[in-house]
Amino acid sequence: MVLAEAGYDVVVLEKGDNWFDDVTHAAPRSRFSSDELKAGRHFAKPDPVAEPRTYRWHQSDAAPRHVGAVQDLPQTVGGASVHWDAKTPRFWDIDFRKLSLLGPIDGADVADWPFSYAEIAPLYDEVEDLIGVAGDVDALPAEPTLRHAPRARPLPMPPGPPQLASLVAAEGCRKLEPALHPFLAPMAINSTEYDGRPACNNCGQCSNHGCPILARVGALAALRRAVTAGAEVRERSWVVRVETSGRKATGVSWIDDRGREHRESGDVVVLACLAIETVRLAKLSELPDPHGTIGTHFMQHWFTDGSGIFLGQRLHAHRGRSTTHAADDFADPDFPGARAAAQAAGLPYFRGGTLELGGTQLPLGEANTYRVLLALLRPDKPFGTEFKELMRSSVLRDRMCGIQMIGEDLPYRGNTVDLDPQVKDYRGYPVARITYSPGTHELAAQEFYRPYVAEILRRAGADHVTAVPDAASDATPLAGNDVPTTAHVMGGMRMGTDPAVSATDDVGRFHQLDNLVVADGSVFPTSGAHNPTLTIMATALRNARRWIA
Amino acid sequence: MLTAHERAVLEAAAARLVPGPDDDPGEAGHPGAREAHAADYIVMLLGALREDPPKVFAGGPFSDRRGGKRNDMARFLPLNDAVKEHWGARLDDLGAAYREGLGQLDALVGGDFAAASPTDQDVALAQNPRVRHLPAGIRGFTDLLFQHTIEGCYGVPEYGGNAGGAMWQSIGFPGDVQPRGYEADEVTNSDGPDPVTATGIVADLLRLVTSTAPQSPSSRRTQSAPGKTSRAG
Repeated sequence: MVLAEAGYDVVVLEKGDNWFDDVTHAAPRSRFSSDELKAGRHFAKPDPVAEPRTYRWHQSDAAPRHVGAVQDLPQTVGGASVHWDAKTPRFWDIDFRKLSLLGPIDGADVADWPFSYAEIAPLYDEVEDLIGVAGDVDALPAEPTLRHAPRARPLPMPPGPPQLASLVAAEGCRKLEPALHPFLAPMAINSTEYDGRPACNNCGQCSNHGCPILARVGALAALRRAVTAGAEVRERSWVVRVETSGRKATGVSWIDDRGREHRESGDVVVLACLAIETVRLAKLSELPDPHGTIGTHFMQHWFTDGSGIFLGQRLHAHRGRSTTHAADDFADPDFPGARAAAQAAGLPYFRGGTLELGGTQLPLGEANTYRVLLALLRPDKPFGTEFKELMRSSVLRDRMCGIQMIGEDLPYRGNTVDLDPQVKDYRGYPVARITYSPGTHELAAQEFYRPYVAEILRRAGADHVTAVPDAASDATPLAGNDVPTTAHVMGGMRMGTDPAVSATDDVGRFHQLDNLVVADGSVFPTSGAHNPTLTIMATALRNARRWIA
Repeated sequence: MLTAHERAVLEAAAARLVPGPDDDPGEAGHPGAREAHAADYIVMLLGALREDPPKVFAGGPFSDRRGGKRNDMARFLPLNDAVKEHWGARLDDLGAAYREGLGQLDALVGGDFAAASPTDQDVALAQNPRVRHLPAGIRGFTDLLFQHTIEGCYGVPEYGGNAGGAMWQSIGFPGDVQPRGYEADEVTNSDGPDPVTATGIVADLLRLVTSTAPQSPSSRRTQSAPGKTSRAG
């Protein structure tokens, strides 16, 4: 958008398909739909067999733990924000100045960003206008939220209707000791008609689904402006190499549907492939890396999942916008008891993260959960009328109130993205290998906050509760998912002023070349304790304006 | 393509996994895999690439169930050559897994699974026989069949199952609701009391799920020594 509107001749090479009729329309017709099966078949995402990623826990692991779908965000025109429940909190002042304001942590590489909250705040305002964020800044809690992320003006749209399950969870937050401060979460989903797009009608299938009515536009809003200003979008055009000559990126090599290779030359090359694929492309291109800074300090947040089951009513969390409320108290390093618990774990401080309040799952997800649990409960007959009873009871869907804590992930040198030495995709290119384990910080924060997550649900009136790590690790090898499904992917090309410890500079330019820029979450030096997408967009906007100048 | 016998085994097996009124007395009045035509879903999946456009991704944005003027979901999406190739390979493997798995079910009852007693069928299915070409994460043929029977029961009907949306009705799920959506009061208000008694399998599942629940923070505060909360990474 910034480049096209500044008069550059822009070509957007998108690896995936285009499912929109005409991206120059405000609300283009698309082929996205409320179809859980389609999502399960990886529509608009990298196919897990044809384009797998590999995942392991330690640098010393010879074999991957998992080969297939890993953080498989959409790969399609419109980008990852095509499937998104569009929660748009801002990062905090302490995120941008984490080293200066909170201090270092042994074993991690806490760093300051090249800008402060004060500098990025007007860019947050601009992105909120561009993509349309609904909410009420007056309802945001003074402590801790507004103290750390102050607001200068109202949001462009008022909040949409609150979801019952989110209200129930919010009440549990208020009844906790110490009381939390839940609020209606700002989100990039229209509550009124906005910018030629309709108001959301609360169909409930946000995550993992494109919006059939474009009430939730995401990055497509910027793409529309780019195309209107003359940018060309080429779908199914897979960039496999950045071509360089000395300190210059000269363009890219890309392959088409038939596997034929093409060249596209350019004065500037911008990488915005999702942190994992940007790093993969940097590695496939053998970009200069004298200090080994490409692919390190990968972050994806470390989630804690709470479930509250209500036997007296159906909470219908499938009506709405996934969740409508949040609480920020666990993102505060000074939450009562947090400093002491951190010190007991040998840390100077820790942070949990924001809470998303009041979610559930859809019927296929629910049914498969019962299928898996029946194998444990009824090994002699893990199916049949008891399965049907569970589906009718709907304890893990319609009677469920879910809470998710988005635990901050420190930047560790040993959490990396690189090329798998064995596994190749269907075109023969080495796939991305993610090496990741939570550190003491993530696990200590999770252990401190996990009882609170469960207690919120008890105080909310749930008849049965639990709170567990979302993903497995050395600490809890049987817990949760094999691979985190956080959909938050950051780091790998971190920004910094010193090329010895960063891959990109203070405006996202790759240090080792004159004209290669990175414009996705891979530039993040720290992960924050909130949903990152608004910050990814604001950072990309801020950086583009600066390096183009 | 499945033979007539394989088809009969498939239907019988699916009906054990997700029974209806004719399969289990506990399911009087509640549709199951037979009523949903879940076997049709599986047959459509296995033959998906023989159709044009392939029956892999249903279209959009809307069905005609909730105000859509036509059923966009019924018009399946074209696949590009690469995607078609991956799905072709995937479905070849799946077809092989099914033929082998359905044959294993016959072997486990010593002849014809479709003609065996429900008890014998259940015992055979509980073996979860290993077959080749299972997708990643699936340990046996019963797991595979159960997963697909679930999809054939509770997925959108355009894929061949969930006939008439009756399985959604049976679990109180409205299905896809675009373009009508929900009004604000439907989102915010309770529908009123709707109690369920947790007995039998429901109670057992709740006990399992909550076995991982942490103690309340107040009980932790009464513990004496600090340092118990940390766990090394």
